[in-house]
Amino acid sequence: MPEDFERGSSLSLFKSDRLEDILALAFALIIATAVYFTYE
Amino acid sequence: MVYSKKSPALFVIGLIMLAIWYLGDSGMMNGYIEHLGGKKYKYLGEITSLPLYFGLISAAFGLLQWLGPQKEGDWDYFTSAIAGAMFILIIAMLVRWFVAPEIAVWSKAMGKVGDTGKYIHKLLGLNYIVIGIVAGIIIVNVFKVPHWAENGVRLSRLGLKTGVILLGTLYSAAELKNLGGLSIIMIGFFVLGSVGMVLWLGARRNIPNSMGGVLSAGMGVCGVSATVASAPVVQAKSVEIAYTIGTILLWGVGCMFLFPIIGQLLGMSYVQFGAWAGTGILNSAQVAGAALAFQPDGIETLKVAEIFNITRVLILPIIVLWLAVWYVKREQTGEAVNVGRVIIDKFPLFVLGFILLFALSTTGIFSPPVHYKGKYFDNTKVKPKNMMTDEQIATLTANADKVQRADQKAALARLIEGRKIASIEDDATVRGLVNSRVMGKESGAILKKAHKAVRWTAPKIKAFRKWITWLFAFGLVGLGMQITISSMKQAGGQPAIIGGIVGFTKAALSLVVVMMFIKETI
Repeated sequence: MPEDFERGSSLSLFKSDRLEDILALAFALIIATAVYFTYE
Repeated sequence: MVYSKKSPALFVIGLIMLAIWYLGDSGMMNGYIEHLGGKKYKYLGEITSLPLYFGLISAAFGLLQWLGPQKEGDWDYFTSAIAGAMFILIIAMLVRWFVAPEIAVWSKAMGKVGDTGKYIHKLLGLNYIVIGIVAGIIIVNVFKVPHWAENGVRLSRLGLKTGVILLGTLYSAAELKNLGGLSIIMIGFFVLGSVGMVLWLGARRNIPNSMGGVLSAGMGVCGVSATVASAPVVQAKSVEIAYTIGTILLWGVGCMFLFPIIGQLLGMSYVQFGAWAGTGILNSAQVAGAALAFQPDGIETLKVAEIFNITRVLILPIIVLWLAVWYVKREQTGEAVNVGRVIIDKFPLFVLGFILLFALSTTGIFSPPVHYKGKYFDNTKVKPKNMMTDEQIATLTANADKVQRADQKAALARLIEGRKIASIEDDATVRGLVNSRVMGKESGAILKKAHKAVRWTAPKIKAFRKWITWLFAFGLVGLGMQITISSMKQAGGQPAIIGGIVGFTKAALSLVVVMMFIKETI
């Protein structure tokens, strides 16, 4: 793996940890909502 | 710069996924499935659905990127990650559906290990987590990550963070009511003490702050989840995360065999041993292995150890907060650190997400509030076909004399009278009776069925577990792909030494505390 990327960092596609956190939170809430309404 | 590559790779991955789906759905794979466990093989449902969806997505984007026009911009940047994400996903699929079950088949052929009642792959933690990381490491070091997949590999941390947030749904604060004040103090003291000691030792032995930070969370709280949750706060490298997971698992293997021997030598009670194992051993499966090795004929020890294990996870947000402040202070030597500012700037939002879902789970919207990882007791909705038959009652009655313990005798009498398990306490006692095997094989099978009839899994939690499994599998295969041999050499043997010292100190001190203060109640 190359150490430097022009955008993001070597560990993340996103420009900041906070943005990655927000996306993770959004995904998790979408999944939780879908599970809540799909299963009994 | 254009990030997507003119390569047929993503299209080919799509075709392979579709082929797996076709082989599974048409029944052409049945012979192999039989070899992997037959009816006990639980992934056929996944094989006949997931590769179809992801195969179609991969094939469509693959064709577009391979043959379509390329244009610089955000769309190109983010869609270029799909190839790497699907590359990780297909490896995670192969590991979960075929490699891990194949290893389980070999392990089962070797038989159970001693008194632990568990197979070697369970005890060594050879599950999709470890195998996924190893698969990633092999790929990056033997074959190298292909250039078209590099961007997508950087999505693995997003998968892990989403998984940690959803992990909150598996726990409930209702479990805490079973704990006394002393136990909470003990858990808090040893978790915080282990974290502090790793950080102190790490500074003395000059390991990087990121390594010390992530190792402290792993050694203090509980293995993989804590390691993953704290890694971004201390900017941990992939190799440091893998080292921490390896150290924890290795430490646990040693403890699992030593703890029961010491417990027997010291004549510890079930509660004392459960508290000690739940404090001193980190990985959940290994805690259970030690508890069952200490008390093969009952689950009192296991129950106490499990409660201690769960409670540690709930301290995770405090540890993350501590590490956030500690890391900034260590990295900014010479400058005054504004703690409030650090908390606002650095505290990871995804850990708040974990707390949010844990709080929601506690309210009971996903499962009855008193549940453990989605499993709960309810004897009011036992189906008529699962009530015990006259024949089964006769078998149990004929073997009832073999039971010696008074509590087990009483629980058995109530079961025979009511034709189903009477209470959650009786359920625990019956599980102990099954483990003890004193009533013989036939009665054991009947008791097991009676136990299963009153245990329920909340469908929502079951779905969450699947999501978490996939997100972790995805994240850890990707994490493995970021670990090169040279980075492992650079990390050296210090983490294992520090882990060993802290683990040993914690085990010894918690043994003293348990022997002095923990009596028959927790």
